[in-house]
Amino acid sequence: MTHYVIIGDGISGSSAAETLREKAPDATITVITDEGEPLYNRILIKEHAKGKLPEAPISIHEEGWYEERDIELSLNTHVTSVDTDAKVVHTHDSGDLEYDKLLVATGGTPTQLPVDNSDADGIHHFWTFEDARGIREHAEQSDTGVIVGAGLLGIDFAAVCGAQGIEANYLMRGDRWWRYALSADGAEIMHGGMRDVGVEPVFDSGVDHFETDDDGHVTAAVDPNGDRYECDFAGVAIGLSFNTEFLRGAGLEEDNGIMVDEYMQTNVDDVYAAGDLTRFYDVLLGEQAQNGSWGSAKEQGRIAAVNMAADDEAEQFEWVSSYSITHFDFPFLSFGHPTLGDDHAERKYSDTEWRRIAFKDGKIVGGVLIGDLSPQTAFKQLMREQRVVADQKEVLLEQSVDLDELAPTQEQ
Amino acid sequence: MHMATSELRGSSLKLTRIESVSPDATVRHVDQLETETLDTFYAAVEGNRPITAAEMGLDAGDVIVGTEYYRVDLM
Ligand SMILES: Cc1cc2nc3c(=O)[nH]c(=O)nc-3n(C[C@H](O)[C@H](O)[C@H](O)COP(=O)(O)OP(=O)(O)OC[C@H]3O[C@@H](n4cnc5c(N)ncnc54)[C@H](O)[C@@H]3O)c2cc1C
Repeated sequence: MTHYVIIGDGISGSSAAETLREKAPDATITVITDEGEPLYNRILIKEHAKGKLPEAPISIHEEGWYEERDIELSLNTHVTSVDTDAKVVHTHDSGDLEYDKLLVATGGTPTQLPVDNSDADGIHHFWTFEDARGIREHAEQSDTGVIVGAGLLGIDFAAVCGAQGIEANYLMRGDRWWRYALSADGAEIMHGGMRDVGVEPVFDSGVDHFETDDDGHVTAAVDPNGDRYECDFAGVAIGLSFNTEFLRGAGLEEDNGIMVDEYMQTNVDDVYAAGDLTRFYDVLLGEQAQNGSWGSAKEQGRIAAVNMAADDEAEQFEWVSSYSITHFDFPFLSFGHPTLGDDHAERKYSDTEWRRIAFKDGKIVGGVLIGDLSPQTAFKQLMREQRVVADQKEVLLEQSVDLDELAPTQEQ
Repeated sequence: MHMATSELRGSSLKLTRIESVSPDATVRHVDQLETETLDTFYAAVEGNRPITAAEMGLDAGDVIVGTEYYRVDLM
């Protein structure tokens, strides 16, 4: 009987386990996680930290979910290495496990700031439910905050500070939030959202070091200009380091992420990878790419499982990723790869409405919508169809996008 | 707890803004919705218009986390 081993019980690992059981009713399936609880909703833990959502609805699977499906779940089990020749997974203190096919779905861990006192009490990183519980508890007692990391995860800390009544400074290295995807016009709307919840963006800043009291608790952040920002709460979200240390020596090709093809196969036989940590071949983009979103991780897990069960290249990953920010009065949606491409178009429609579309070789590869998300379906459709539309930016920038107004596709 | 989809298919649903969530609610973030469902959701939020269950792909009682929290209710 085939033994499938999945390392990681996040959304990618869990969705793979579910699909494997459907496709391979008789197989042995083991899911290993170093967390102490089965799959939960990682994209809702910020709502718990904000103090808005109780714990129970965030849990997705009870342990009984695995029992019902005859899936072996190993909680609190850290994988230390994998021998891909002998096909054995080694764990810290739960012994060894042989596999026929292996899925690596171990995601990432937030990167620490490489500055003095970055591990002081009161400085938070945000990835797990446990982190969220700690953040919530501490945020409820805090008055002043500092946030570092001008991207999609940093803004969650801004929202936590806003919701928990912490007066915070958001220290950014450049002149705006998420400068790789937003122009000054788009970013200004986001800065307005932050100010509305009591978080002040500070530009051309960052952290040179943190100061602490005698008990080792953070008291201030000092930026490279020498400006000092008092805080009893700090949130750091400067990026993710992928959890691949245990693969050292396993022969897997890595390039800031595990390299996989569109079937989620690594370069090593019978080893697949899925979720945040992959650098996958994006069939729509025509090159290797990365996604860091829930929907994409779930779909990659499903695709990996389909191909593992078929022992074949049965289905390829073809997906337009999206990522929302829901913390402000206006909606925000980033889709595809908004920071890539060779051309772009953008327009501001009002104080809370802005749109940017990124193109590569004339095709849409991603974008950002603020305020009015109604064009998302049309843009995602054009991405899937891989239509050349960069020469028709006016149609795409109309407030209401009507695909019928696009000139018919030329026969190549 | 959830009604069979067939029972709901013809019926209309509406979104009700809520301030707090009961521990036994099924809660989803907008990024868990399919593209079309997301479209319908935002159209319903903007226009306050009723939606059919089939169109929405959601069950009565579900809570959706967008810029506000919304509960899906039977009309
Ligand atoms: C605060 C926050 C907010 C987010 N908001 C959004 C959002 O609004 N929209 C969106 O689309 N995405 C959001 N994301 C991103 C989204 O949560 C991730 O893209 C997704 O959860 C990735 O799933 P995954 O299965 O690849 O990895 P993970 O969920 O990270 O799962 C990997 C699992 O593997 C385990 N593991 C790691 N190493 C080992 C080992 N050696 N042995 C055993 N187990 C191991 C880890 O403990 C973890 O449980 C957010 C993330 C965070 C942290």
